[in-house]
Amino acid sequence: MNAVIEVEDLAKKYGDVEAVRGIGFSVGAGEIFGFLGPNGAGKTTTIKILCTLLQPTSGRARLAGLDVATSPGDVRRRIGVIFQDPALDDRLTAEENLMLHAVAYRVPRGERTGRITEALRFVDLHERAKDLTRTFSGGMKRRLEIARGLIHRPEILFLDEPTTGLDPQTRARTWEVLRALRRDFGTTLFLTTHYMDEAENCDRIAVIDHGKIVALDTPAALKQRVGKDLVTARSDNPNELARLLSEKYGITSTPVDGGLSFLVEQGDAFIVKLLTADRPTLGGISVRRPTLDDVFLSLTGRQIREEGAEGQFARLRAIARRRG
Amino acid sequence: MIEVIYALWRRDMVKFLRDRRNLITSMVRPFLWLVAFGFGLRASVKLPEAGAGTDFVSFLVPGMAAMTVLFASMFAAISIVWEREFGFLKELLVAPIPRGAIVAAKLAAGSATATVEAGLMLALAPLIGARFSVTGALLSLPLLAVFGMSVNALGIVVAARMKSFEGFGSVVNFIIQPIFFLSGALYPIDGLPRVLRIVVLINPMSYAVDAVRGLCIGPHHFPIALDVAVVLAAGLAFGALARRAFNKMEV
Repeated sequence: MNAVIEVEDLAKKYGDVEAVRGIGFSVGAGEIFGFLGPNGAGKTTTIKILCTLLQPTSGRARLAGLDVATSPGDVRRRIGVIFQDPALDDRLTAEENLMLHAVAYRVPRGERTGRITEALRFVDLHERAKDLTRTFSGGMKRRLEIARGLIHRPEILFLDEPTTGLDPQTRARTWEVLRALRRDFGTTLFLTTHYMDEAENCDRIAVIDHGKIVALDTPAALKQRVGKDLVTARSDNPNELARLLSEKYGITSTPVDGGLSFLVEQGDAFIVKLLTADRPTLGGISVRRPTLDDVFLSLTGRQIREEGAEGQFARLRAIARRRG
Repeated sequence: MIEVIYALWRRDMVKFLRDRRNLITSMVRPFLWLVAFGFGLRASVKLPEAGAGTDFVSFLVPGMAAMTVLFASMFAAISIVWEREFGFLKELLVAPIPRGAIVAAKLAAGSATATVEAGLMLALAPLIGARFSVTGALLSLPLLAVFGMSVNALGIVVAARMKSFEGFGSVVNFIIQPIFFLSGALYPIDGLPRVLRIVVLINPMSYAVDAVRGLCIGPHHFPIALDVAVVLAAGLAFGALARRAFNKMEV
């Protein structure tokens, strides 16, 4: 596979804060590559370095063989970037935004109008071409930015949290567009996300935490790595339960809000065995096949988003109350 | 390259022309000065020999033209803060455009919009009885445009360091008031106290006002060639500073 992004030992410090601590990876042509991690893990910093907006403190990054630090101009011509927050001029129309982009990226004059029409059709916005973008919804703005990313046919398209803040329907539509982009133009996609289900769309994922890559593989292989089911138990006395699990079954558990969770093979059978043999006092218990969330949990000991864990426990509490 | 600068310049012009209300409200400040200050003091002000016979309201017109450019051009730089806040600046910085081209387009647009406002102000001034040379006014416009460029550049230097609209507003107000009041826009600069005179002499706006007054009304304090030279030099110097500030800016 031909590598279009090659990163070696890349690091970025802001004063004393190490945002990125020596990461390395490579991305092949036409690949959809995802950076998965919680907010503040170093995802946006990495993308800004790759897009030439930030200078790395040390290490090297090459795009299509060009060093981002020493030839930013050549790199910029080959990439497209869709930022986390909309970067449109909202007092211009959709068409005017795209035209400005076409001129900036030196799209041949004769091809501009054609490409703009084509790109607007691609994201289903051609009927709004003459409208000011300030009248657009969040999802429409995001789609317009994707259209803009297509205008100069970049070899690599960077997307920083492409679907954050979008409703599920728009997220699904955005992903259709992104997959079509790879299919029709062979574009390499590099994206960051903190949504597990979004990461599932990637060919390969680098799990990043505290500025370091803690795992890099396909989503399936990452899940396989966990292998076991995730059991989450709600308990008023989690320490006692933790001791029981480790002494009798040799299972290491992770405390979570209001209880604990642990990984075990054949979780459903294990629960039955645990409840009949040991009769622990539990407020609720659940078992789930491994997801990328669990991959993250097993790699870092934390859940990617704390509110996700709370939501789960709220559900468990409700179940416990109904049964009690 | 030229095409990119033109496209970026055109973007700001399109937005300026779409917002007509802005153009109308920009006339309030100069006409308030002309009417309230001009007519208010006309009877009590005796202009020095060189300007004797000139009506005080007409005397104020060149200063008001320069003031219009000063305020419009300075506040046009807020677009940098605005575009950083709303993300568009990132789109520009990641595009294969030299940063110098972005600055050049900004300066050209900031100066053009300000000059349009000054031109409109000059066109309307005769309605309240101001009298001045039309040829002189037309000749003044390119000079005002260069002055506008240097002011816009100063605005960009401030905007490049500011993270908020409020921050930009307060810093700009802090520098814009002395530039305006100590420029001779409101009074002749002959016979000023020594300290005040020194401040007026180092203020580039004094030379812009002086040249426009010379061209439109007749009396002027410095040679017009010196006025033009100072305005051009200020444009180049502030332009270079703006470019440097923009280069160092992070998003």
